[in-house]
Amino acid sequence: MGLVEIATGKVLSSFSVFLFLTILLLVVARRISTSVLLFSVQSAIIAAEVFATGFRERLAEAYVVGALILVIKVVAIPRAFFGLVDHLKTSHDVKASTTPTQSVFIAAAMIYLSYAAVHSYGQSVHVPEDALAASVALILTGAFLMVSRNKALMQMLGLLVLENGIFLAALTTTFGMPLVIEIGVFFDILIGLLLMGIFTFRIRDTFDHLDVSKLRRLRG
Amino acid sequence: MILLMPLLIALLGAFVVLGFRNPRLATRAALLIGGLEIASLVVIVWQVHERGALQVGRYLRVDGLSSFFLMNIAFISGLVLVYASGYLSHTGEGRFSSPRWFYALVFLFLFTMISVCLSANLGLLWIMMEGTTLASALLVGFYNTEGAVEAGWKYLMVCTVGIAFALFGTIVLYLAAVKAGMNPPAALNWVSLMDAVPRMGLDPHLVKLAFVFIIVGYGTKIGFVPMHSWLPDAHAEAPTPISALLSAVLLNCAMYAVMRYEVIVSHSVGPAFPHTLLLIFGVLSIVVAGLLILVQRNLKRLMAYSSVEHMGIIAIGLGLGGPLGLFGALLHTFNHSVAKSLLFFSAGNVRHNFGTLRMDSITGMSRTMPQTSAALIVGGLAIVGLPPFSLFISEFAILSQAFTQAQYFVATLFLITLSVVFGGFAYHFLRLLGGEPNSVPPSSKLIPSEYSVMGIAALCLICFGVRVPHLFSVLVQEAIAVLR
Repeated sequence: MGLVEIATGKVLSSFSVFLFLTILLLVVARRISTSVLLFSVQSAIIAAEVFATGFRERLAEAYVVGALILVIKVVAIPRAFFGLVDHLKTSHDVKASTTPTQSVFIAAAMIYLSYAAVHSYGQSVHVPEDALAASVALILTGAFLMVSRNKALMQMLGLLVLENGIFLAALTTTFGMPLVIEIGVFFDILIGLLLMGIFTFRIRDTFDHLDVSKLRRLRG
Repeated sequence: MILLMPLLIALLGAFVVLGFRNPRLATRAALLIGGLEIASLVVIVWQVHERGALQVGRYLRVDGLSSFFLMNIAFISGLVLVYASGYLSHTGEGRFSSPRWFYALVFLFLFTMISVCLSANLGLLWIMMEGTTLASALLVGFYNTEGAVEAGWKYLMVCTVGIAFALFGTIVLYLAAVKAGMNPPAALNWVSLMDAVPRMGLDPHLVKLAFVFIIVGYGTKIGFVPMHSWLPDAHAEAPTPISALLSAVLLNCAMYAVMRYEVIVSHSVGPAFPHTLLLIFGVLSIVVAGLLILVQRNLKRLMAYSSVEHMGIIAIGLGLGGPLGLFGALLHTFNHSVAKSLLFFSAGNVRHNFGTLRMDSITGMSRTMPQTSAALIVGGLAIVGLPPFSLFISEFAILSQAFTQAQYFVATLFLITLSVVFGGFAYHFLRLLGGEPNSVPPSSKLIPSEYSVMGIAALCLICFGVRVPHLFSVLVQEAIAVLR
């Protein structure tokens, strides 16, 4: 067995564990930059998973998608985030509304919940249960970050984590969607982040802070 | 080729308009491009009517259902562009908020909405649906006030998360299709999916799971309760022409996406499951929105909650199914669009003249602004579903379908909500229009761009209420043929 085959097998069998690790670290991270780095690592793990799947299933398209993830999610988006933090001259605190202890317990509960949720589907679609559970856990974590972190930037990051989860679900169950659609989805994410970036500047300019929990003028 | 025309015109038009720094020139260019756009849409609708479904390549297709919604887009966008030409005259030059940016973003918004209706592929449909959020977010935040920024941010976040769930639903349906033995590149294609539908019924769990995510995801954009939180904010804070576009076109486009999935799911796992979900969301939306209508203070928020209510009515029509239910639902998408545009246009005039939309700070409007008041009365009577206006016909069709199917619970809630909404609108409008005027607006007369579109909308409401034109009902029947 060649080295590449061994590496492929290792990536496919162990990446869920690493993803769970990033989830647990993400929910306790206190600084925005740490969270962004963790997102970058998480995307790198998913990129490795894409390459491994592409190699095992002999899918040329997967290499294109993997390269896109490496360029966009591992490098470009984190860099843009760091640039945004610098330009906005905001504090690095994520403004968490839960304590780290609570967050870890919630994350553990979400991981348990993901396993429970995919248990019945895992067997019917013949995919590794761990991978499916990891993707559901990522979706839940993303949603959790969005509701429990008050900084506008962290909400954007939560959205990205959520999107990673959806991407992983597509990858593990169907080896990804057709390439054209995949590229379209990437394009949408990029434009969406660009717009959210514009809005963070507007929020800061109109309200002098980035705490979206204080945006409460419109009600009823 | 003809299918590419409206897409190209809208996309290129956006960049062309951006080139005009002079507001007057930008407005004229926008009207010209809008005219071309509408002409190309009308040609497509006519071709589909004459020759049946058209397909270009693997990704673009138009059939009876999409052509019905294209007609809706063409009509409302025409009204909105003309109205905006007068409305925007006061807007100054600012970053992303000058007339040329406004029109450029409007054309991008139209481009994405037309693409939603033209896409033959459910993946492309998702991409374009997310595109509608992105194109309109800056328009919602156009005024750059505190409220506008907050509404824009909320709109962007809530809808993007909602739409992410729809992506998950799309993937699950794709998985079900691939498992049913479909070729992966064709497994998101709407025509080949319809061919493979019986085989997908073998795995009902996945198809049902997909539909749950789809209705939550696209339902966020439709504004179903409880995912409606973005809707009143965005409608109230956006410039009035955009409120009209959001309410009268965007919500319908999202409803169109749900219709597409509803057909697939109904054919593969039977209609009971999707219909029950649609009825639940529909009833929940009308009841909650109906109650919230009573307590509103802002005129445009009142209209926004009324949109939630009417989307609920359309969902009930779809959920009941049957010839009258579908006829009522489709007719109601169009009627609601016309009535809601008229109301939003009137609300825009109110804001212009009084500088506020708070209903408790305006009284006696019927004396100070008789023309706008007349429009508000016509629109208000139409939106609560009184005869002889067109919404009466579609609501009556849906209601009779409910009684035919012995869905007395739905029918009763529907009737109660309609009376609550009638009471709410009557209360708000009587206080707004009656009594002694408390302030005199600077210019009570309407300008041509305003009274022409408001007149057309009001005329349309009355004509369709007296008798649905033959050609129009043929188009509705062609759309229903796709849905059955």
